[in-house]
This record gives sequence, structure tokens and C-alpha cells, in this order.
Amino acid sequence: MAIEFKLPDLGEGIHEAEILEVKVKVGDQVKEDQPIFEVETDKAVVEIPCPVAGRVEQILVKKGDTVKVGTVMITFAGAAPAAPEKPAAAEAARAPEEKRPAPAAPERQAVPVQARAGEGPVPATPATRRLARELGVDLRQVPGSGPAGRVLADDVRAFAGRGAGGREEAPRRFAEREPAEPFTPQPITAEPAELPRFERWGQVERVPLRSLRRKIALSMTQSWTHIPRVSSFDEADITLLESLRQKHETQFLKNGGKLTLTVFALKAVVAALQQFPQFNSSLDESTGEIVLKHYYNIGVAVATNRGLIVPVVKDVNKKGIGALAAELQEMAQKTRDGKVELERLQGGTFTITNIGPIGGTGMVPMVNFPEAAILGMARSAQKPVVRNGAIEVRWILPLAISFDHRICDGAEAARFLRHVAELLEDPLQLLVEV
Amino acid sequence: MPKKPIKLPENIEYLSILDENAKVDKELEPKLSADDLKTMYRYMVLARRGDERMLNLQRQGRIGTFPQSSGHEAVSMGSVYALEKSDWHVPAYREFAGMLYRGWPLETMFLYWGGFEEGAVPPEGVNDLPICVPVGSQLLHAAGIGMAMRFKEEKKVVLTYFGDGSSSEGDFHEALNFASVFNAPVVFVCQNNQYAISVPLARQMKCETIAQRAVSYGMPGVKVDGNDVLAMYAATAAAVERARAGGGPTLIEGLTYRMTPHTTSDDPKRYRSEEEMKQWANKDSLIRFARYLEDKGVLDGDARKKLHEEIDEEIKAAVKRFEEQAQSEELLNPLRMFDYLYADTPPDLDEQREELKRFLAKKGKLPASEAGKEQAHTGRERG
Ligand SMILES: Cc1ncc(C[n+]2csc(CCOP(=O)(O)OP(=O)(O)O)c2C)c(N)n1
Repeated sequence: MAIEFKLPDLGEGIHEAEILEVKVKVGDQVKEDQPIFEVETDKAVVEIPCPVAGRVEQILVKKGDTVKVGTVMITFAGAAPAAPEKPAAAEAARAPEEKRPAPAAPERQAVPVQARAGEGPVPATPATRRLARELGVDLRQVPGSGPAGRVLADDVRAFAGRGAGGREEAPRRFAEREPAEPFTPQPITAEPAELPRFERWGQVERVPLRSLRRKIALSMTQSWTHIPRVSSFDEADITLLESLRQKHETQFLKNGGKLTLTVFALKAVVAALQQFPQFNSSLDESTGEIVLKHYYNIGVAVATNRGLIVPVVKDVNKKGIGALAAELQEMAQKTRDGKVELERLQGGTFTITNIGPIGGTGMVPMVNFPEAAILGMARSAQKPVVRNGAIEVRWILPLAISFDHRICDGAEAARFLRHVAELLEDPLQLLVEV
Repeated sequence: MPKKPIKLPENIEYLSILDENAKVDKELEPKLSADDLKTMYRYMVLARRGDERMLNLQRQGRIGTFPQSSGHEAVSMGSVYALEKSDWHVPAYREFAGMLYRGWPLETMFLYWGGFEEGAVPPEGVNDLPICVPVGSQLLHAAGIGMAMRFKEEKKVVLTYFGDGSSSEGDFHEALNFASVFNAPVVFVCQNNQYAISVPLARQMKCETIAQRAVSYGMPGVKVDGNDVLAMYAATAAAVERARAGGGPTLIEGLTYRMTPHTTSDDPKRYRSEEEMKQWANKDSLIRFARYLEDKGVLDGDARKKLHEEIDEEIKAAVKRFEEQAQSEELLNPLRMFDYLYADTPPDLDEQREELKRFLAKKGKLPASEAGKEQAHTGRERG
């Protein structure tokens, strides 16, 4: 049986070589390791030694030819296959495709236009595979536009955007919003807790905590580990305020501000803070002092699609309801659009979080470190309440306060909260007091 | 007096015992028996012939790219011969002679450059680390082993190697600093072949010797004729003895020349003159060592010829064994590419492995040994 010799990869990843010299003739008796060709690759001129001992049967290349790696160059007869018929390591892995009799090239080129059949390995880089996993995309479904049908990251993104059916919008998943940025795992606390290997029970997906999500995680960890937090609850009868609010809503809207409950809460909170200054402070752990702030900058939690952000309304005590309404609306919009200025994210002394518009009958908010307390507002609703011995339908707003128990005590917090509630219950008082 | 020179403890010496004309310095000549000398010569020739044979194997597509070692035999052999068997040998990638002497079979070396992980497994009872290609990293491994020997109070010495280019890497400096601060029994041997691929020594550093870098780490440094196997032996034997006695590390620079391209993909004619290559070919360690052995009556021309023939047969047999292994179903199993990458294979790799397995099964190419195996790689607990 004739033994074929194919041009091997003579360098690291060369594709072809030019034949400079053929050193044997058909019919020559050759020895193993005797030079048979001299070829030039883009790296160097090298001699190719004969892989076997035997007689040259056919020479399939000539001087001046450019030969691709894997091309049969020469065959030998009557040779003991001292060398393997196939070069060893590297090629074995590629064998399945290459041993087919017909040239594989045209077949491969057909791949890009069609999604593939679904059984073979899909050519894609590890980064693309990861992206596909993050986006929940089945790589086999994705038509590849890269060389030899390779699936590229853009193919995966395009596919994910199109939805699995190819028409409807795919549901946007958490990870999709921030695709494939390089990610270095980093603990979020000094002593991260051990986790079990969740993969044991089924498929899991790991989504990096990126930018805002990470910041929130870090500051919540800080709040939880530094602030011994206690919460207290109350409710305010805001029937009067509601009618007032609804009556003047359109007028305020004209002036560029929505007259929300939060606007009144800002005012009520500042009034309460002036009476209970410890709620407008921070504890300096390093010196053992309470830092009382003589300014009233109130943060307002805003839910954005990237996560929670708390922009700050400065000097609330110096601003009127109309101005606050306008500022709050502009600030919240900018925050949702991701355009709020950095300086408006700093310097808060107290925070209000109003989940009312979304729902909820109550809440236990987390103190916004390093502040001392936070006011939570849940959904206001019409409720039957007993007033003067009779049942009446009233607007009731559930309130909560969480505070740093190192600085303030429960009794003060209950009083603080009652004060806020009373001001919201009696709009006239609110106007008088602030 | 406010300003005066600081006296540094170390002087850098140059050592040569057997010069290029095979003239030996009788006073410095190490006391080695005829058997010692024959053994050293034998492994140097085995490495040289093996290197030449490997080049052919590469050109025939039977192994992959590899860095040749011709020209580096004396630095490797002279130094390694100063070790006890239980000592540690931490090579870079041109210590072919030393590795063969330590007990690595030729076919294991062929397997390594053929791309098989089996080539990185030291034979039973051999205290060697495998070939190390990430330049300079092995020096840290060696320093670590040396420190471990100190902590464990074992009287074993570590011998490690690096190229001139590696001495410009942070790893080199970190390794020497740690070894010296912890007084670790490590002998650092530089295969100074004067080039880091195409970059000549003068473009790598401004100091005169690599050996003088020892001064900054408070250890002895010596520059040796790296084509002089006797000088390499003498310098290393002294360093090994000192290290074993608790005297700490040493830096030895062996000046030599790579007689081949950097690797099989390199073309040195683009950066070295024919003239220079010829000059250094005349300084070949094997030529002068053969003459020394002849002059000493240890090995004459006939005996040498016979030895060369034996060695060629030995290489031939090793190539055969290598190819039997390389062609075995076990080693050709493409699924093995997923092995040895992680202690715990991550689930996505397991997934890819299973996918390839299904593909092979479908094509009727699944190795029989895999057919019965059910996901042996998944479900492993984190250790
Ligand atoms: C960390 C690292 N960087 C780069 C390389 C690529 N590389 C391989 S050999 C080499 C040159 C090494 O020169 P030298 O240390 O003088 O050793 P020589 O090859 O001359 O023996 C380089 C840069 C590598 N293998 N490892």
C-alpha cells in the first residue's frame, strides 16, 4: 500500500509553503530522514526529511508550487510505515471532518446562511458561548456569520434581540442589559459566606453584580453591618390633604411640578427633623461622636430600570411647596434617564422612600448609610375607620421609620413619626410650622 | 566622613576549566571518575542526537513546535550532575540533557512536544518538575520548593534554570529575593545563550553580566563558560554544597550559544550572522569534551563511535514507543482535551464535552473506552 506524505504545519499555525526544491525523483530508493523537499513558509526556509524508508512512487508537487498544509506531496511504495499514516496529535482531533473523501470547503461555506441541524458542536469562541448562556440563547439556533460558519457575539445578540421565534421581541432579561463586559469576580464583603454548588440541583446562571447593582449591594451590606436598625410604624389620615392635593393638582402641574404626597412628606419630615435633630445626624464610629447636621438635604428613593438611586433635594427647609414639586419632578425624571448630576447624589441627611405608587401595605426600609433614619411611605388607600364612634371612609397612609438605635431610641422615633403624621393630617399646621 | 564607598560582599568571578582547545586547567579540574565522565558525555550526546531527531519528527508533522536544545547540553549536564537523586530539578525548556539524565524517558519528551499531557508527568521517584514554557515562572516554583525544604528541615537542594531573557522578568527578581531572604537552598542557573528569541543581550540589559545581579540579592554569583561542562560542574557542586549546608542560594550564569533556531518556527538568519554562528560552533561543548575524554584515555574514537550507534538505536526505539502511544486509542481520544484543565471541570466545559461525545457517537467515532463511561467528569463536589 502506498504511503502518502502531507505537508505538515511547519511553524505555529502556518497555512501553506512554497516548494523551493524537490530533492528526489520518482523511483528513487529513499532512507528515513533523508531530505526530500526544501520549502519556504512565512517563517523560514526549511528542509523536509523523509518520514519513511522506501521507493518514491509519485511526486505531486513541483518547484514553485504553493502548497496548503494537509496537501499530499509525495507517495512511497514498499515502505514500512515507520511513520504513522496520519500525523499524530493535532490532527487527530480534527479527523472526523477531514477524513471525508470529498473536499470539505464548499460544504462548510454553506453553513452561515442556515441555522445548523442541531447535533454537532457549534463553532464559537468561549466568550460568545458565555454570552449565549447569559442571554439564554441556544447556540445551535444561531446562524453564524463568521469564517467557516463561526457564530459571533453579534450573531448571538442579534438572535437574542429577535426572540426565539424570530419575530416577537424577546423578553429582556437582567443580564441582557449589560452584555459580556469582562468581569472579574470580586467579593462584596471581607468574609464572603460559603455557598453550596447549586449546579448539583439544576442549571443556574451567574450574573455579575455590575456598577449600580454592585454599589447598592455594597452600601446595603455596609448599612446592615454598621447600623443596628429598629423600625416603627404609624399611619396618617390624609383625607384633608388628599382633597387639597387633588384640588390644586392641575394648577401645580402648570407650574411644572406634580403635587405628590412625597412633596408634602418632604416638608413634614423637615419640620420633624428640626424638632428631633438626632434623626438628622450620623454617628462617627471612629471618634465616638454624633455629627448633627444643620442643613436639611432629603434624599428621595427613585426606582430606575438599572436599580435604586437616591438623588437629594438640598435645603428643603428653604423651599416652598411649588418649588419642591417642580424640583422633585425634574430630578426624578433625570434620575430615571440616568442623567442626574453626581453632586445631586451626595450630601443627604435623611431619606424618604415612597413605594405607594407601586403598592404595599407597609415596609421596613433600610437606613441609607451613613444617615440616621429613613421614612417609608406605603400605599395610601380609602379605609373604613372609626371616628367619633362612627365608621367613616378615610384616606389612610401607612408610614414607617427605620433608625439607627445607637443614636435614637424607640420612643423618640414613635414621636417623630407621629409628628410627621400629624402634619400630613393637618395641612394648615404644615403651612404654619414650616 | 560623610561620603565613602560601600563595600559589597560579593565579587563576581569568571570560571573556565576546559577551554575551547580542550586544554584543561589542572588545578581547577574537578575530581570526577571515568564513569562519571562517561555518563555525562553519554547524556550530552543523547540530548544532541535526540534534538536532531526531534527536528526531523517536527518537519515530518509527527510532533509539534518545540524549542531545540543543541548548545545547551554542558550548562544542563554539568550542573545537574552535582545533584543527588533526591534533590529537586526544576527545568525550563532547554534542559533536555539534564532531564534525560534525571530519568525522563525519551518518549516522554516526544510526547510532551507532541502535545500530550503524558509528557508532563515525571517518572515515578524522580523529583523533577515538568518542562516549563511560561518564561521565568519556574524560578518561583523553585524558590517555593526551596523554602519548603527549609521549613520541613529536609536537606534537599533545588536546581533551576532560566534563559538570559527571563532575567529581565519580574518573576526572576521575586524568586531570587525570596530565596535569599529565606535562605532557601536553591541554585539558579542561567542558560545565557545571548538571545531572547531575536533580541540580543545588549538590548535586554545594560549590565555586563547576569551573574552580578546576585549582588542585589545578597547571594554569590559566578559567571561560567557554559560550553565547559567541567566548569559548570565545579561551580554548581560548590553552590549545591553551600546550599545544603544552609548557606543559601547562588546564581550561576553559563555563557553559551543556541546552535539552532529558537524554536522550529524561527529563522535565526534574520538576526544572527553566519559568521557568529560559525564562531560558536567551534566552541561546541561536545567537541572539546570528546577530546578531553580521549586525552584522558576515558573514551577513544572507537568507543565514541560505538556509543553514538547505541544512542541512535536507543532513539529509534524511543520514537517507535512514542508513536505506538501517540497512535493508541487512549491518547487519540479527542475528549481528552477537556481533562487536566481544572481540578473541578466547570459545568459549561462538561456540557461541551458531552456535546462532542454525542457528535462523535453520531459519526461512529466514539472511542470504545468512552462508550460505557457515564459523565465521569460531572457531579464532582467542590473539594
Ligand atoms: C511569560 C512568557 N512570555 C513570553 C513567552 C514567549 N517566549 C517564549 S521563549 C521567549 C524568549 C525567552 O528567552 P530566554 O529567557 O533568553 O530563553 P531562551 O529561549 O533563549 O532559552 C519568549 C518571549 C513565554 N513563553 N512566556
